[in-house]
Amino acid sequence: MRVTTRRVLLLVGSVAALMVTLHLGQQVLECQQVLSERRHRLMRPENEELVMVDANHVEYRYSKDMPLIFIGGVPRSGTTLMRAMLDAHPEVRCGEETRIIPRVLAMRQAWSKSGREKMRLDEAGVTDQVLDAAMQAFILEVIAKHGEPARYLCNKDPFTLKSSVYLSRLFPNSKFLLMVRDGRASVHSMITRKVTIAGFDLNSYRDCLTKWNKAIEVMYSQCLEIGRARCLPVYYEQLVLHPEQSMHNIMRFLDISWSDMVLHHEEHIGKPGGVSLSKIERSTDQVIKPVNMEALSKWIGHIPGDVLQDMAHIAPMLARLGYDPYANPPNYGHPDPLVVNNTHRVLKGDYKTPANLKGHLQVRARCTLRV
Amino acid sequence: MVGKLKQNLLLACLAISSATVFYLGRHALECHQRMERRGQPPRGDGAAAPPGTAAGSNRSRPYSKDMPLIFIGGVPRSGTTLMRAMLDAHPDVRCGEETRVIPRILAVKQMWARSSKEKIRLDEAGVTDEVLDSAMQAFLLEIIVKHGEPAPYLCNKDPFALKSLTYLARIFPNAKFLLMVRDGRASVHSMISRKVTIAGFDLNSYRDCLSKWNRAIETMYNQCVEVGFERCMLVHYEQLVLHPERWMRTLLKFLHIPWNQAVLHHEEMIGKAGGVSLSKVERSTDQVIKPVNVEALSKWVGKIPADVLQDMPVIAPMLAKLGYDPYANPPNYGKPDQKVVENTRRV
Repeated sequence: MRVTTRRVLLLVGSVAALMVTLHLGQQVLECQQVLSERRHRLMRPENEELVMVDANHVEYRYSKDMPLIFIGGVPRSGTTLMRAMLDAHPEVRCGEETRIIPRVLAMRQAWSKSGREKMRLDEAGVTDQVLDAAMQAFILEVIAKHGEPARYLCNKDPFTLKSSVYLSRLFPNSKFLLMVRDGRASVHSMITRKVTIAGFDLNSYRDCLTKWNKAIEVMYSQCLEIGRARCLPVYYEQLVLHPEQSMHNIMRFLDISWSDMVLHHEEHIGKPGGVSLSKIERSTDQVIKPVNMEALSKWIGHIPGDVLQDMAHIAPMLARLGYDPYANPPNYGHPDPLVVNNTHRVLKGDYKTPANLKGHLQVRARCTLRV
Repeated sequence: MVGKLKQNLLLACLAISSATVFYLGRHALECHQRMERRGQPPRGDGAAAPPGTAAGSNRSRPYSKDMPLIFIGGVPRSGTTLMRAMLDAHPDVRCGEETRVIPRILAVKQMWARSSKEKIRLDEAGVTDEVLDSAMQAFLLEIIVKHGEPAPYLCNKDPFALKSLTYLARIFPNAKFLLMVRDGRASVHSMISRKVTIAGFDLNSYRDCLSKWNRAIETMYNQCVEVGFERCMLVHYEQLVLHPERWMRTLLKFLHIPWNQAVLHHEEMIGKAGGVSLSKVERSTDQVIKPVNVEALSKWVGKIPADVLQDMPVIAPMLAKLGYDPYANPPNYGKPDQKVVENTRRV
């Protein structure tokens, strides 16, 4: 290459142009940032933090940066047991399913999914930033105020984990527990107990297993996306067979100090600082009992033959999660002595649903044949 | 050969880069202009803009459920956008565009409260009315405050939000309401001829639209009456366009906001800082950029099918209740002010 003046000039010119472009681009970005910061700094909420006071006059301050815990999974996967055990911890409060949090999350998702709607909202100044602020505010209010104050607040609404990536962004210090269970057991449970779940046809094992597969796939992939430091899959079977080990693992993951009370949640039902149950929730009658193995293999012999044959095809997530789709049942493991003991007591009939927790739905359920 | 290719490539690169520079330069200039308009010196080093250097609104304003909010609404095509544009022109007021999400969350909330079964379930979960109200206040405030510029008086215009007028009045105890009322025949003609999709309104039928108009305005009107004249004011579109000064004075007095001449010249404040921000996807934008005029008052005459005209008081009893003669085509709305006559001529 000959070094001519023309070539040098060209080089210098293009370098200069590049620098100018970069500089201008940077200026535009900063300018936009400062503008939006300015706008938001000009109005601030009167109360920056949510303050709640408990029965002992202890003050708790809540904000979007608090260490929230979100528990979820496909319904009938042990989500209520998980939250009940955590509720037994003196410093944690989950409380009942709020029912509305998954609904607003679904609405929020619908608004941004449609490209046209998103454009209209942006035109109205209702940007993602604005919507996110509104969602944070709404969700915090519901979680903080629907139960007793506590140092660690937790929320259990099964389908919220369909939006766990979004939630992890809204609440940067939150952690997630994804309850995972053998889909065959979950589906058997919803069908026999007639637990209505939107989109699940309770007349068909095949349909329910397909829907289970779809749902757990979405939740599991988001859990992986969030990462092991913030989202922990919890296997129901392992929780029930080895509660002490599982709970130690979970408490370590959550960075919350240990308390033996989490292994005896049944002793804290309805007590202050304990486990608050709703009479209309479908797992209430089960969760008043201590951790036991009653529900592990009830599904054996109830799934139609053709579905069993196509199992790996209908529900590929089974294998992915570590459940053998052709084993009926798989060997989940051997229970701890504590659990064996508990199961004996439960089978003896030691734990009956107290009158105040009997909803009319429970009474109806008693009439159907329970296997 | 290769030399020529290289040269062409270089030329192309130069063209692209100069286009980029031109575009970015223009963008940067616009951005700087916007910053200067708001009284801030442009900063190139990314440092946060110091407060206290600009005129007016740079002090941090606290917002809470007790702030004096203004809610504007009514059946769509009743002058709601004109109303909010005129208020937006006031330097101390900011309404901004329709948020679209506020009526939806209000409707969903109403569903939860109306179903007694659901209400029981929610109460059992600790999600009581009190908790729901806190959550709604928080959500609505964030949207209203953050979707537009700050201002001492914030206002929200989403036509169907006023279907929850009494609820809003309860959760925002210092809020005031402006219910836009218009001759239903004109509103319906507008939505049909302009093909403005509104959920539940069958744009192929004047009869259906009029009965839906009737039901909607009845709900909102009753709630307006329920919260009382000190908190909710009916604004007749026809009167607003015929006598804007008189009505704007009454309105601002009702809102306890000091008078400002700018509200009579909203068309001069379009797109300006502290003025009227319009959305290109809203259906009234093309009309509201014009000054207050009487163009739209009687466009409906001669367009409504005869059988509908005959059954008018039965289809839409609210017409008479609101003071519109159901058999007059059109009723005599009144004579316009001189200014409005001039505006209409200009338009």
